[in-house]
Amino acid sequence: MNDRAGKIQLGIGAIVAAVLFVAVVIPNFVSAPSNVPNVILSPRFWPNAIALFTGLTGIGLLLTALRHPEDERETPVDVDHRGMALLRLSGVAMVMLATVYAMPRLGLVWTTMVAFIAVAFLVRTHHPVSAVISAVAIPLLLYAFFAHVAGVAIPQGEIVRLP
Amino acid sequence: MSIVDSMLAGLALVANFESFLALGAGVAIGVIGGAIPGLSATMAVALTLPFTFAMSPITGILLLLGVYKGGVFGGSIPAILIKTPGSPASSATVIDGYPMAENGQAGKALGMALWASCTADLISNLSLILFAGWLASFALSFGPPEFFALILFSLTIIAGVSGDSLLKGALSAMLGLMLATVGLDLVYGTNRFTFGNPNMMGGLNFIAVLIGLFAIPEIIAMVWNPKAHDGNTRSLGRNWVTFQDYRKCFRSIVRGSFIGVFLGSIPGIGAAPSAFLSYSEARRKSPNRENFGKGEIEGVAASEAGNNGVAGATLIPLLALGVPGDVITAIIMGAFMVHGLQPGPMMFVLNVDIIYGLFIGLIVSSVFLFAIGSIAIRGFKYVADIPRGVLLPAVLVLCIFGVYAVNNNLFDVGVMFAMGWVGFVMLRYEVPAAPFLIAFILGPLLEDNFRQAMLMSGSNPVILFRGPITWFFWALTTITVVAIARAGLRASRGSVLAGDPK
Amino acid sequence: MPRKTSVLTTAAIVGLAATAAFAEYPERPINMVIPYGAGGATDISARTIAEPLGDAVGQPLVMANVTGAGGATGSVAVQNAKADGYTMLFARVGSHSVNPAMKATLPYTLEDFRFVTVYEINPVACAVTPQSGIKSMDDLIAKVNEGGVTFSSSGVGSMPHIASVMVLREFGIENPLQAVTHIPQKGGGAAATAVLNGTATFFCTNSSAVASFVANEQLLPLLVTTAEPVEGFDAPTAADLGKPALHQLVGWTGIAGPDDLPDDVAAKWGEWMAAATRNEEFRSRMEARGSIIQLMSPEKASEFIETQYNTFRTLVDELGMRIEG
Repeated sequence: MNDRAGKIQLGIGAIVAAVLFVAVVIPNFVSAPSNVPNVILSPRFWPNAIALFTGLTGIGLLLTALRHPEDERETPVDVDHRGMALLRLSGVAMVMLATVYAMPRLGLVWTTMVAFIAVAFLVRTHHPVSAVISAVAIPLLLYAFFAHVAGVAIPQGEIVRLP
Repeated sequence: MSIVDSMLAGLALVANFESFLALGAGVAIGVIGGAIPGLSATMAVALTLPFTFAMSPITGILLLLGVYKGGVFGGSIPAILIKTPGSPASSATVIDGYPMAENGQAGKALGMALWASCTADLISNLSLILFAGWLASFALSFGPPEFFALILFSLTIIAGVSGDSLLKGALSAMLGLMLATVGLDLVYGTNRFTFGNPNMMGGLNFIAVLIGLFAIPEIIAMVWNPKAHDGNTRSLGRNWVTFQDYRKCFRSIVRGSFIGVFLGSIPGIGAAPSAFLSYSEARRKSPNRENFGKGEIEGVAASEAGNNGVAGATLIPLLALGVPGDVITAIIMGAFMVHGLQPGPMMFVLNVDIIYGLFIGLIVSSVFLFAIGSIAIRGFKYVADIPRGVLLPAVLVLCIFGVYAVNNNLFDVGVMFAMGWVGFVMLRYEVPAAPFLIAFILGPLLEDNFRQAMLMSGSNPVILFRGPITWFFWALTTITVVAIARAGLRASRGSVLAGDPK
Repeated sequence: MPRKTSVLTTAAIVGLAATAAFAEYPERPINMVIPYGAGGATDISARTIAEPLGDAVGQPLVMANVTGAGGATGSVAVQNAKADGYTMLFARVGSHSVNPAMKATLPYTLEDFRFVTVYEINPVACAVTPQSGIKSMDDLIAKVNEGGVTFSSSGVGSMPHIASVMVLREFGIENPLQAVTHIPQKGGGAAATAVLNGTATFFCTNSSAVASFVANEQLLPLLVTTAEPVEGFDAPTAADLGKPALHQLVGWTGIAGPDDLPDDVAAKWGEWMAAATRNEEFRSRMEARGSIIQLMSPEKASEFIETQYNTFRTLVDELGMRIEG
């Protein structure tokens, strides 16, 4: 991907988003009472204005990209193995989803221990031993600090409770 | 009672071991609390509040002020080291502080942050002492129309933090503005983009968005390409900040401090816009503008001066009017009231010894901040030595705990993850994150004040030009926009002529 | 330490303690949700009672501010919590009588909660700036009839919002929504500032929130809604002005759990609150802030809130103030 292609994608994305917002999202998900005395006071006025400017910015991005066809600066190739990278990316997405799902059930401490190890594995850490030690120690330390020093009600889950 | 008498009365009140101990302990608690993402200066002050009930009024309030001062500086430590601003106020520090840490200059960046913070703190405290009365009456002349004009002007900062492409910056800002509309409508109380989820009714939590946008994309980027960081083991950076660096940045620091004093004395704006404004002014005035955003020490200095400049000035509306300017001063006001003190003009008459005692304590707090900050930096900067394969997962865990703790809500952790992906896409497309944040902070203020002004005037837009203050900011906005437009045109024409991809 | 608890603690340390249903409530710390931000009236009230209450409970109380949407976010957190008595809510006038009366979109109703107590009452005061030239309620009403009067509040569906409307209506303004303009602000501090700098003409709120402005002569109180005069407020009471209906218009703080909270838990809270509110230090600290300590039993509290809710609901329906969207 180069800078120009990026701008074209962003521009198109912005225009599509703006149209979607004005036509679908704002009418459906911003409720406006029927007795609004003036259109500029309506709860919809501001989102619509922002959507309009988003569309204009998109058009601007598209135009600058099309006007400068020579602007072909390559962003440096960053990954040698794209498929693996995408796989890892979906891996971290799964970790996040699982974390959100598990937090209220297992509690914050156990969930983050697993998440720590998973992410350390995904970034292919060169220090697996210290990563595992930290994965156990850091959530426990943070729990001790937040729960007992700062007095925050850290979710404990239903299976194993810490003091 | 003359000023000298008042000073002496104040001195008699604070010149004891207890007061200084409270101040020192407060600064230390603040620096540590501020350095833990999600805990932030606000939380640290709130958590310290119950301990002050049993103390004498002056000791208790000095303790809280110490936490406040320390917390505002403490936020810069994780901002520089792990790209996770400890509080919103230090998000501008990330822009240049983190690249400096990446270049092995973590120690230097932290040192400059401390020096700039202490200088700004001192200027802010002196302004409080000298101009409290004057600035307070000025602050009270800010109604919704004045606010609207001021915030409209502040939005022009976006041009200064957009990096290479102004349009990408604008897109980023639009995204921020749109996401800030989530929640309950101010005027009608109706739902906007809540999708039936009660957690969305309160809007997206600011800290969750902030950390999601800065820290999480770093982690995702490393998952995307673990090898990118193999080569650079970020060395600690033995080089400490020099007096020469300080002198070079001195103008920016002083400018930032006064921006902070001005914005701090107006209730309801806070430290983050001030830091961004100070940063963009420093960039505009600097000869090596190109280096801003890539690890320019002056950028760190300006941001930190901007946010610490606010810390003394927010006490101006509190002490002179009894109006808390932000959440922290609201908590401190609670401490006053628990002790039966009622901040306001009468306090300068009835409790003048306490007022001057506080002033003296504040001046001393700058010295404490310098001493304790130096120790803290020495401890914290070793974070830069931790291998990234261990550091980044640790940052993730820290962010989860921190973001949860802000509002005791697991939903916010989900918001943080979602924003992390938004931030990662922005990173890939080289869309700058700073304009998003500025818009996210200022957008609701702009909209609310616009609509309040319209309510005041019965939808007559003339009210937006109602007095000299509004004229002043409208003029500033016009000048800035014209200057940005001309610079933009010149740049695009230049690149066409030279065939030089910018 | 009694033997049972020490066994439990050991079990917890080795990480085996399951939720022991057999143990006597409370056998672990209780989460207390404060649905408003740090430093606000609810927060200070909650943290002040937490000290004597914690002693009475015998287990730590973990205070958690869950803010957002005028108290709705925190209230929902407790509504959805397990009704085991380990998650309780500091309910407030805004979140549990004004909001349910005004907002059709609210994700909860009064029936979703079981109140175990109301312990604090806050008189409501209406105030203007001395510069406004308004000296009494009669002056204010005269000004309203001329037109152009505005009032501030800490947001749509907040207590100050309905308070101003109710006061005006009691004083004979048929439709306050047409006669005056509401300029909502974000939070109580901003609402006071709006009156101070002339953005709004008047506002009605907790007397504690205006006490310092009154003491500093920056604001002039016009009325307090209680029957008894409020210390430091040189203003007529609602009784003096012959408006007893306004006695309903007070702020309060109470404690609630989810609606299926067991009876024995509710009864325990009644005992603990009785012990906690006897604490002298607590009383003097709250009274210094202008609160009235008035302990209600679980039944009395539910009845009190229900009555206030119905008063507000009637007003909202008559004026068409209900927020549907």
